[in-house]
Amino acid sequence: MARRTFKRTRNGTLAVTLYPQEVELLAMTARDMMTIVEEPPAGEVRDRLYPRAYLDPTEEKAQGEYDALVHDDLVEARRAAFGVIVTGLDGAVPNRRGLIEIELAPAEEMQWLTAVNDARLVVGTALGVAEDMDTDFEPDDPRFEYGVLYSWLTQLHFELVTVLLDEIGEAGSDDPGAEPSPRP
Amino acid sequence: MSAPDITEITIPDTVEELLGVEEASPDVPWVVLVWNDPVNTFAYVIFVFQKLFGYSREKASRLTNQVHFEGKAVVASGSREKCEADVARLHSFGLWATMQKDD
Repeated sequence: MARRTFKRTRNGTLAVTLYPQEVELLAMTARDMMTIVEEPPAGEVRDRLYPRAYLDPTEEKAQGEYDALVHDDLVEARRAAFGVIVTGLDGAVPNRRGLIEIELAPAEEMQWLTAVNDARLVVGTALGVAEDMDTDFEPDDPRFEYGVLYSWLTQLHFELVTVLLDEIGEAGSDDPGAEPSPRP
Repeated sequence: MSAPDITEITIPDTVEELLGVEEASPDVPWVVLVWNDPVNTFAYVIFVFQKLFGYSREKASRLTNQVHFEGKAVVASGSREKCEADVARLHSFGLWATMQKDD
């Protein structure tokens, strides 16, 4: 079945079309993530969500200032982004084809994009995902369910990135010599 | 720029002060690095570089390849303040970014 999860509508908004089971999984994941981004487990997940700005250990003072300036806002931005997903899906009812369709406000597109990726970072890091690693674990493997979730989040994210990458085009705004991208 | 007030000029005590090392450090160029990680995808990293820095697809792709195949790439540079802002934006998009003096 040719279903496009993310589609630009004629009025310029981004439509998201999901099966009810997907809505359930995404809303549950987003709710969990609202807590996790606020208080991530110490270790790799926290380090991956909130990496140091300075690797140089002699820059401890600057690192402290960076954290004081940035950390709380970053936590709140992440919570808010997952909150947008939860709120957007809350109470959405299936259409006649049994699909749930919602439209995102322009500002919500980046929140969906970063939130789904943040969920991938958390789940992928917790699973110990490595380069080109297969996350299709055997059903009796304790990682099975999270492997399925990670694969699905990756597919969802890929579909959203594909739309946005197509729209942003080839040309850059930093180099005036570049060929302008053709407008559709 | 107005002429310096001669009464304000003091004799430097040290070579570092004479050379203006301390004073100059905020102007030392800094660089922003993005490091390879196994979760972020090529397409997403290319999109983030285009979105945040206004880079062309060609430049964003070249940097993303460098991150992936060489482990890291310098993606931006400038003052400490500018680089901190760039790192913060990259962190908000989930990229593994750090900054350091451009030695």
